[in-house]
Amino acid sequence: MIEVEQLRKQYGDVVAVKEVSFTARPGEIFGLLGPNGAGKTTTIGCISSLLTPSAGQIRVMGHDVVRDGVAARRSIGVVPQEIALYDDLSARENLSYWGGAQGLRGAQLRDRITEVLELTGLLDRAKEPIKQFSGGMKRRLNFACGIVHQPKVLLLDEPTVGVDPQSRVRLLDLVRDQAKGGACVLYTTHYMEEAQSLCDRLAIVDHGNIIAQGTLAELRALLQERDLLRLTGVFRPDVLREALSHLEGIEIIQLDESQLSLSVVDASHRLPSLFAAINAAGEVRGTTLTQPSLESLFIKLTGKELRE
Amino acid sequence: MRFIFISALKDLRRLRRDPVTLLTWLGIPTFIAAILLLIFGRGDARPNGKLLIVDQDQSIGATLVAGAFNQGPLSSMISVEKTSLEEGRGRIDRGKASALLIIPAGFTSALLQGKAANLQLIRNPAQRILPEMIEEVLSMLTDAAFYLQVVAGDQLRTASARGVPSDASVAQISVQFNHLIEGTRRYLSPPVIQLGANVIERKTDKPGGFAALMLPGMLYMAVFFIAGGLATDVWRERTSGALRRVSTTPASFRAFLAGKLLAVLLVLALVGLFGLAVAHYLADLQISNYPLAALWIAISGCGLYLFMMLLQSLASTERVASMLSNFVLLPLTMLGGSFFPFDLMPSTFAKIGRLTPNGWSVSQLRKILDGAAVSPFAFAGVILFVAGAWLVVAARVRRTV
Repeated sequence: MIEVEQLRKQYGDVVAVKEVSFTARPGEIFGLLGPNGAGKTTTIGCISSLLTPSAGQIRVMGHDVVRDGVAARRSIGVVPQEIALYDDLSARENLSYWGGAQGLRGAQLRDRITEVLELTGLLDRAKEPIKQFSGGMKRRLNFACGIVHQPKVLLLDEPTVGVDPQSRVRLLDLVRDQAKGGACVLYTTHYMEEAQSLCDRLAIVDHGNIIAQGTLAELRALLQERDLLRLTGVFRPDVLREALSHLEGIEIIQLDESQLSLSVVDASHRLPSLFAAINAAGEVRGTTLTQPSLESLFIKLTGKELRE
Repeated sequence: MRFIFISALKDLRRLRRDPVTLLTWLGIPTFIAAILLLIFGRGDARPNGKLLIVDQDQSIGATLVAGAFNQGPLSSMISVEKTSLEEGRGRIDRGKASALLIIPAGFTSALLQGKAANLQLIRNPAQRILPEMIEEVLSMLTDAAFYLQVVAGDQLRTASARGVPSDASVAQISVQFNHLIEGTRRYLSPPVIQLGANVIERKTDKPGGFAALMLPGMLYMAVFFIAGGLATDVWRERTSGALRRVSTTPASFRAFLAGKLLAVLLVLALVGLFGLAVAHYLADLQISNYPLAALWIAISGCGLYLFMMLLQSLASTERVASMLSNFVLLPLTMLGGSFFPFDLMPSTFAKIGRLTPNGWSVSQLRKILDGAAVSPFAFAGVILFVAGAWLVVAARVRRTV
């Protein structure tokens, strides 16, 4: 179980995490979704006691990560964003080292190494130096090193970055297996599809703040089944705002001289009346209609796309 | 505690997989040592030259001149060889001798009769010291001949003018020489000035000569290179994220660094033993001191490793760390008796060099190899430094993760 209360982390004047609070429970995959620089990695860094929080409290399996760091770290397995492995060692030697660092030894360590090698499909390449491995294989080994000691809390920081689709599917299955086994999984990503398909609950993070959190259904409800209509062109904002104010079921998310984003109920049936109003106050050059999704929720909440 | 061994094993395995790097660190000083030993030879450091004599006189005078170079310590530095004019010129032209001395025909006769006689000395321009010494010796011989002419010129002329002397002439000349010696005895014996000579025993004849002089410094060059090279490994671990990952485990960062230190200690002990075996072969160093010497190399090498680690931890980027490392390593190696032994350095530089960490270590190693007693404070001091530096470096590296 991870309990984060009013976490704040700042470096001098730069605030990386403003105020983040959430609870992730055993057997659950909790996602932190947000663009690069939103504060996801900093949050994971504080939970894993790599970084010391500037304010707030974090407890892992009941242990405060600042006051009782060693006990907290015994429950944690971390799969970092980078491939934090020794290239000149074999897969087995890497697992032996990281398992040893977590306190495993002897037959228990050997058995566990064989188990995770089998789980990640690397058993037949176990003795090769990993510099001969493909990127996907290294990612799987990176994951294996994080779970070799069967942690109760698993922190995954964008573990599928740069991974081929096949390895990604395999990795996501492995993450689900960990949660099924009772582990509390905290998963950060900026891939919407991954978050939608994997996470039981989600927190959307932007500029160091959680701007929404809940189950996927709860988050979708925030959109009230509205479509997202994005238009580019040349607009006169004041005139356009006035024209759109007469239409019902429309909410302006963003409006400037070149962009217009609208949250619209049943947009596909209302496009003719919408265009009539918009054309009176500008010229439309491009249109994108998006069904309700995390992407559209993110745009609705932040006024920008997740990949920006 | 167990993680220390796990961490050490990891580093030793990695080093074993990358033997080229280790061989490069060892190869540079080995190459320099080999070049120097090829140039100066592995044995005695004293110069050794050859004086070629062309004897056109074929008499006792030439034998006396040659004999002057076979006296005392000069005989171990200059070997004399009689040769023909043509061969002598050829060899001096090819630089195969230090000097060529031509004793012309009639030299002895002219010497006995007090006439002018010329000795021709051709020096090898490629050499400086030995031809200079030969010229000095000849100059002294010329002076001696002059004074002999002054005090016994008449007797010499008489002896040479009569051809084969009769018994009466020999007796007469002998009596005259006796009177001459009796007349000068009060100046020569006892000497007017009493010289008191105190011989201070100085151990300059260390076994192994030049090789023994060079090898401790060369060994420390290898140790310093290895220490510096292994210290840069922390950047690889930092870049890969391995350091961050260690920080998220229950293992302490001090144990992680202690493991690295243990690996360095073992590697340097092996390098020390290997280097000392080479030194034994090349320089005949005493084998009884090897275990202590290897231990010293390993422990002081760990100190150098932590010193280099500290520098690495002060740098903001890997590139800055590399520049800083080279900036410190090269001057210290040069000043610390690795390129130039302290015995061959100007005394001021030697004094400064012995104060550098590596130079001080080289001096202590020389003491151990010479069989001299090494202060236990030296070992204790290094161990204290290693312990202190270990704590500081662990804290600094942890902070920069």
